[in-house]
Amino acid sequence: MGVEMRLTWVITLLGIPAALLAGVLFPFERNYYFISLVVVLLAMLPFFASFEGRKPQAREIVVVAVMTALAVSGRAAFFMIPQFKPGMAVVILSGVGLGRESGFVVGALTGFVSNFIFGQGPWTPWQMFAYGLSGFLAGVIFSGPAARNQGLGNLNIPVIIYGTLATFVIYGALVDTSSVLMWASDITWASISAIFISGLMFNALHAFASAVFLALLSTLVVEKLTRLKVRFGLFEPVP
Amino acid sequence: MRGTERFSSLHPVVTVCYFVAVVGVSVLLMHPLVLGVSFAGALSYALYLNGWANMRKTLPGLLVLMLVAALFNPIFNHRGYTTLGYLGDNPITLEAIYYGLASAAMIGSVLLWFVSYNKVMTSDRFLCVFGNVIPALSLVFSMVLRFVPRYFAQAKRVAAAQRGIGRDVTSGSWYARARNGSAVLSVLLTWALENSVDTSDSMLARGYGLPGRTAYTDFRWRDRDLMAALGFGGAVLVVAVAMIVGALRVTYYPGFVVSSWSVATWLALGVWTALCLAPVVVGVVEEAKWRSLLSNP
Repeated sequence: MGVEMRLTWVITLLGIPAALLAGVLFPFERNYYFISLVVVLLAMLPFFASFEGRKPQAREIVVVAVMTALAVSGRAAFFMIPQFKPGMAVVILSGVGLGRESGFVVGALTGFVSNFIFGQGPWTPWQMFAYGLSGFLAGVIFSGPAARNQGLGNLNIPVIIYGTLATFVIYGALVDTSSVLMWASDITWASISAIFISGLMFNALHAFASAVFLALLSTLVVEKLTRLKVRFGLFEPVP
Repeated sequence: MRGTERFSSLHPVVTVCYFVAVVGVSVLLMHPLVLGVSFAGALSYALYLNGWANMRKTLPGLLVLMLVAALFNPIFNHRGYTTLGYLGDNPITLEAIYYGLASAAMIGSVLLWFVSYNKVMTSDRFLCVFGNVIPALSLVFSMVLRFVPRYFAQAKRVAAAQRGIGRDVTSGSWYARARNGSAVLSVLLTWALENSVDTSDSMLARGYGLPGRTAYTDFRWRDRDLMAALGFGGAVLVVAVAMIVGALRVTYYPGFVVSSWSVATWLALGVWTALCLAPVVVGVVEEAKWRSLLSNP
């Protein structure tokens, strides 16, 4: 582990408790919103630092950019149907095919770059983290066969199930939580449930879209990524 | 972007810090005057940058969001002494309404600052700020920006070719369309990944990853950037000190109390007003100067 990476971990692991402590010791209006924003930003730091720190090869950079661009284009291509977007499916398949670290980077950058089209706002860090985390966990859970260059194997159905849940639980809950923190002065059960219930339909539709696109794309995308890795020796297998 | 628009021609580092400062203070402080000034500044700058015709489409949506924000709090929050009435069993309090209005002003001003941010902070400016700090991620970022329009163009070509062999994306049953759409995507992905290999070989041939490489940027740090940075930094410092010593303290519950109306409060409010209106004032003044210097044949 390099010096920069260690420094990053120190900042993250000390910064998050420090932010929480500061919120308890010096309470002010909106401290929930502000502190959770700091926590989200700090939590993304080690992922980005590890991508930067290992000085990725040109080929890895371009493949990560290709997958991110596909996810962003997908989100932009379906702009007329709210929530019905293939972006999450592409992010998850990047995690499955390229490993957890690339999954996170593709996800976080998808959230960031697509907001150059849809508009940046206070929701951007949460979207970045939600997409990134979904891609990362996809890599943690499913990248085994892809890392051994066996394609998706028989993981098609589990990936679809994971993608549906990730879209609903990780993305939906994180982005809705950011809305609660943004809108409500007091975090009460009533205000939380009001926002979560009003978001339920949108999240369900988004999760359904992920399931549909994963069903159509998963085998195909992972196969192509695996083929590329075998042919050019990218992303050395994760032990 | 107008050629004579001065504020957004500042160095991107200054611009980014400005937006972080105004949005940060607007989110942190719930002082009604701070929020009112922030809203006025954000609205005037958004109008100045985009013009009335463009903002006319954005503003109604924004007003609806603000209205929801203003109503959300009193409906779900029942703290405060002054009960105005009951909604079912739940008291509606004056303090909760005040807080709701403050929330609405906060949300409105933050979103309006982001309208201007989206206009000013174009991707080349973003790369100027982060290109040397996070080179690999910035490179991915700039590639994505290039790839997206390229993929749209290629997807059109692929779809046309697929239509030629009877796999039309735009007609047929719902399932057939989805299947044909996936075929287009599959072709597109193969094409994109094959191209990525060419791109990366070309990058290597041009010395990617060698030590001492820097990110290209078209922006130079000028004297006025330093002046602006010092001015903005000083203003933020004044507001921050006022905030820490409690000069901008407002409590909403249980009663609405503005704790302080001292000299420090007015000083901080004055400085904050100057900070929020700076982009528009600088823009209007510079534009007038520019016009007066134009020769009239």
